Amino acid sequence: MALLDIPPGRPAAAAPPDRWSDGAGLDGAGLDGAGLDGAGLDGAGLDGAGSRRWSVGASVAGHVGRAVRRVPPSIAVWAVVGLVVLVPVGAFLVQAISPRPFSQGSAWLTLANLRAVLGGHTAHAFADSLWVATATALAALTLGTALAFLVHRTDVLGRRVWPIAVWALLLMPTYLMADGWEYLVQPGGVLQRLGLPHAAMYHMMFGPVGVVLVLTMSGVPFAYLTMASALAGLGPELEDAARAHGAGRLATVRVVLPVLAPAMLAASAIVFAESMSDFGVAATLAFQSHFPMATYGLFAAIDTNPANFGQAAALGWLLVASAAIPIYLQTRAMRGRSYAVLSGRTRAPSVRRLGAPVRVAATAVVAVSFVVALGVPLFGAVVASLLRGFAAGGHGWSIASYRQALAAPGFLGSLVLSNQLAAVAACITVVLGVLLARMLGSRHRGRTARAADLLLLGSMALPGVVLAAGYIFAFNLPIASRLGIDLYETLPLLVMGYVATSLPSQVRLFAGPMAQVQESVLEAARVHGHGPLRSWGRTFAPLVSRTLVWAWLFTFAKTLLELPVSQILYPPGRQPISVAIGNLLGNQHYATGTAMTVVGVGEMFVVIAAVLLGFRLLAPRGWQRIGAVRGA
Amino acid sequence: MRSAPRRPVRRAAGAGIAVAASIGLAACGSSGPVASASVSKKVVPLVVYSAQGYDSAVTKAFTQATGIPVSLDDDSTGPLLTKVQAERNNPRWGVLWVDGDTAFAGLDQQGLLLRGWEPKVSWNAQGQSVVPKDGSYVPTGLTMAGTVVYDSTKVSSPPTSWQDLLAPQWAHEVGMNDPAISGPTYPFVAGMMNALGGVAQGEKYFSALQANGLDVHETNGDTLQALEVGQIRVAIIQSSAGIGASLKDPAIRVAFLDPVTPIPSAVGIDPKAPPAEVAEAKQFVQFVLSPQGQQAMQAGDPHGDSLYWPVLQGVSALPALPPLASVPAKAIDPYTWGRREASLNSWFTNNIA
Repeated sequence: MALLDIPPGRPAAAAPPDRWSDGAGLDGAGLDGAGLDGAGLDGAGLDGAGSRRWSVGASVAGHVGRAVRRVPPSIAVWAVVGLVVLVPVGAFLVQAISPRPFSQGSAWLTLANLRAVLGGHTAHAFADSLWVATATALAALTLGTALAFLVHRTDVLGRRVWPIAVWALLLMPTYLMADGWEYLVQPGGVLQRLGLPHAAMYHMMFGPVGVVLVLTMSGVPFAYLTMASALAGLGPELEDAARAHGAGRLATVRVVLPVLAPAMLAASAIVFAESMSDFGVAATLAFQSHFPMATYGLFAAIDTNPANFGQAAALGWLLVASAAIPIYLQTRAMRGRSYAVLSGRTRAPSVRRLGAPVRVAATAVVAVSFVVALGVPLFGAVVASLLRGFAAGGHGWSIASYRQALAAPGFLGSLVLSNQLAAVAACITVVLGVLLARMLGSRHRGRTARAADLLLLGSMALPGVVLAAGYIFAFNLPIASRLGIDLYETLPLLVMGYVATSLPSQVRLFAGPMAQVQESVLEAARVHGHGPLRSWGRTFAPLVSRTLVWAWLFTFAKTLLELPVSQILYPPGRQPISVAIGNLLGNQHYATGTAMTVVGVGEMFVVIAAVLLGFRLLAPRGWQRIGAVRGA
Repeated sequence: MRSAPRRPVRRAAGAGIAVAASIGLAACGSSGPVASASVSKKVVPLVVYSAQGYDSAVTKAFTQATGIPVSLDDDSTGPLLTKVQAERNNPRWGVLWVDGDTAFAGLDQQGLLLRGWEPKVSWNAQGQSVVPKDGSYVPTGLTMAGTVVYDSTKVSSPPTSWQDLLAPQWAHEVGMNDPAISGPTYPFVAGMMNALGGVAQGEKYFSALQANGLDVHETNGDTLQALEVGQIRVAIIQSSAGIGASLKDPAIRVAFLDPVTPIPSAVGIDPKAPPAEVAEAKQFVQFVLSPQGQQAMQAGDPHGDSLYWPVLQGVSALPALPPLASVPAKAIDPYTWGRREASLNSWFTNNIA
């Protein structure tokens, strides 16, 4: 991917050398005007992408600015985003203050729900979520930055493997990670059955520490990818310049850090929002630990009988605000800066050669991080599904639960359906994501677009169950039925729901690489006589093809085992695999449900491997080596 | 599972509007709602929202017997009740089939159930006792809330009263479900409060239980799993889940402390459904309570929900169930306790879970 998973040793998509010389020379001016004003990585911004403009000279900036101005905000795209995300979210959130229109209360206007969630237990849960998300953001940023530095800027062993592990971690559902840890350390769990000490681990994991640990591990990929991009784009020149001016290691770090600051801010904001909105850990590890979190409170308000949509919506407002505020501040800090640096030319970042002992130690740090993040929970889940005691008493090992899972009526049909739905949702999300990412790159959006953007960002903090319920309110209106627009409980609406859950975070994660493509490459293609589509195909597509493949996989993986939206919106008779698993787990068929989950995750990784293999075999060579597209 | 839609023409129009999604799904080759639009004029698909483990078997048998296609939304009780409430402006269900008459009483009080209709059947005494006066829902079977389930290889002296569970012997050894998430658990909480003399006394009991290290899980499956792996030694769960576990593992035993609270599984009909669908829904209820329907119920989930006590004369429970007369059951008034469900669930989640 352009700036997110640049394989070590491969030329990174970065500013072309001639542009670097504009501002990043050794005369200090480059440093001054570029990185040290904190503006360099603007795009990194939230958009994740470690871009920088500190080396781009004034003429280039002006050129880019003019190009950006020519990208008008597309009303059509916002209309689709409005329909898919904003309207359902709005229909849900409005019930905090006005439940009457949806027959969920008698008041046309009330503040009772907001008052209710600002005190007592829900306030406690919200405070828990806030500090956990803050701790998670800081921890994930620290670990993600360290890993990105070691993997991309040093000769640590296994440099081709670790980026794949990052992606595997990104695609891993958080509930599976939490369940894996639970199976491992709980009394009677895998560790105890294997005769290993478990008590200390149990007390540590079943509490705030465990919650922060699992959320940190799930947040590391966001931080890693953002920081890897920033580091890849940084190149050696800034450090060289500092060192040439007599700066020591510490002073060099002080020079480099401000340049990375926007990317760090971006990474923190994304991890913070993801943690605030996470439900997988809140409903498993946190719930089991008597550690209330806001998303679970929201879920409980909806899932209880009778459902309290007003209170759930009020909690939703708090979640949106908690994510939107840091993201808004971060966006505001980045405003007015261009980050289009990817023009097709490349420059490899320098790789620091470590001494043998340091190299081994660094490799160990990276390996242990991924083992803890990925290996331990996977091991817990797989072993638990094989232990007979998890099925129906007794001891020893058994694959009976896998046999039962594969023989369960409708299992294969549900799995196939979920794959189809995930694939379609991923395609739509990628297309919308590209368009939105390009629009978000524009510095000249109107107020409405900025407000919609903010709400889109805020919706990142809402758990899927909010979107699901919002979809009922927005798309099951009597008037819509009378008009023949009867989308509710159809597969198209389910796909829309999936798109809505993936789009905000995908846009945040991939907007940077998208926006880094300079308009000039498109213009050059047009000058040479290509039409708009052909220009995109010959210039834009090669530059972002890897990004698009990963973006597709990101949504596919998030969707395949998605539960809250599936549960509420699936058309009767067309049960997605996640609902089938949920029913098994809820109906006392725990081992079969767990085995089915493992099968589903395994199948997901097979699809991911197949897609990546297909890209490697079928995509033109130049597409695979971003930046090496001059001959394309 | 079938895919026949309830309102195919409208759905087709809706699907047309969602251009992108429709195109994508067409690529899937799915036989979605649009593809199955040819149903006869008189027979409309009956939409069944159900959380019963045997629902798939029963709906298939119903379709086979009557030719009426069923669109089954098989899900947990919580999401189904959420959907019913969220859809109240434009209900999409024809039949709702879940456990717990308190839930149905709550829906009835909100005007969400068809009233005044009873199937023509011969109730037994237990069945007759749980038929609502206004005919707003129909019981289809009985299970017990809050049965004590334990592993006899690990527990030689199981608790014999509810007060026993407050003793240090059971500290951090008892688990139950959160009534806010697990539908069949609210009747247990309400039943305990009822038996202890009121809400205040009940809250005091559950607070004491919590002070003794009560382990709260989300659903029967979670609590049972905690028992099976040894995280807890006593699980307070629904009788069907406990007896089902004992069938898989003979070491698992089920005890009925005095009192336990009966939970009728029940069927309700959407009063806003089209007349043709309401007629089919009544036919469905009648089928469920027929010998054929009872047979399907008892065969559909033999290690789970099929383990119920019948509410009809002439129908026997499965052999794994003890005689109902030996169970110290004490029913609660679903309307009185249904009204309190929201506040008590909220109290439990905030203070106990």
